[in-house]
Amino acid sequence: MIIPVRCFTCGKLIGDVWEEFARRVKAGENPGEVLDSLGIKRYCCRRMLLSHVEIIDEVLRFYEEAEKRKEAKVYY
Amino acid sequence: MWSVEIVEVEVLEKDERNVRLLIRGVDVPFVNALRRTIISEVPCMAIDEVVMIENSSILQDEIIALRLGLIPLKTDLDSYNLPQECPCKSEFGCNLCRVTLTLDVEAKEETRTVYSGELKSENPEIVPVSDKIPIIKLARGQKLRLEAYARLGKGKNHAKWQPVSMCTYKYFPKIEVLSKCDACGKCVEICPRKVLAKTENKIEVRNLMACTLCQDCVEVCPQNPPAIKVEHEEDTFIFSLESTNALPPERILTEAIKILDKQFNEFEEQIKVEKGEES
Repeated sequence: MIIPVRCFTCGKLIGDVWEEFARRVKAGENPGEVLDSLGIKRYCCRRMLLSHVEIIDEVLRFYEEAEKRKEAKVYY
Repeated sequence: MWSVEIVEVEVLEKDERNVRLLIRGVDVPFVNALRRTIISEVPCMAIDEVVMIENSSILQDEIIALRLGLIPLKTDLDSYNLPQECPCKSEFGCNLCRVTLTLDVEAKEETRTVYSGELKSENPEIVPVSDKIPIIKLARGQKLRLEAYARLGKGKNHAKWQPVSMCTYKYFPKIEVLSKCDACGKCVEICPRKVLAKTENKIEVRNLMACTLCQDCVEVCPQNPPAIKVEHEEDTFIFSLESTNALPPERILTEAIKILDKQFNEFEEQIKVEKGEES
């Protein structure tokens, strides 16, 4: 759904680097190198970021749409 | 009886998060006791109870509360007490054993992310270690208002109270290249940590600390018995520790030793009482 705060296995804080990781990977950088530069060494923490999908963005779309419709109703 | 000879500690690496020590003159039970104390007995601060005032976000109250709990908070061990040791004896807590954090956010214009930096703490010292941890995403019109109570706790009760994300030790390696070695270089090739190196007609140990005692170099050696010996020192350990930044790593170590010392004293007292009862 949303990026977990900590690594499931070791408990290292990984939530705070997700956005930078996602941005840099989208910009075309090699994910492995980005993880190295962010100081994520262990493979348990690396898989947290590598395998993560932000499904919350997909779910939120429905709410954004509902809000738009409500607005349109008020408008007419 | 367990006797302590001279214990030597050397700092190999140190920064604000990690510490790597070389400890000489101790045995496995001692370093393991130290490791277990750090993981399960050293207290640190974490959000323990959350009162939801309003939550119209798409995540359930429980999920948000769990996420808040896992956020590491900078801990001040000197001015706060463990709830069970606090003189207030109150289940709810007092100023000496509880910190209140509040969150009041609303997505007014468009979808936005709420970060840990938006948590308002009543004590400016007790704040999340990072301001950039996403707590939740809100679509327009959604609101989240809550009050969270942070308390000191121990890792044995919940992993959120663990001050470390890694705490391990390993034996200090001892590698010996025997004189019958003909420097075929097979051990250099197979070593996954690049511990060995070949110089002219000799095999040399380059990076002893990196050795994981995997014995691959011994197995690959064509000579029988092998011309290389990989062993470990019985009383020397490499102790590494990675803090979650709730406490500085050196504070975690000193605190662990204090707790260990207290526990040993309590144990000794109990034995004395037992003996007294017998006689």
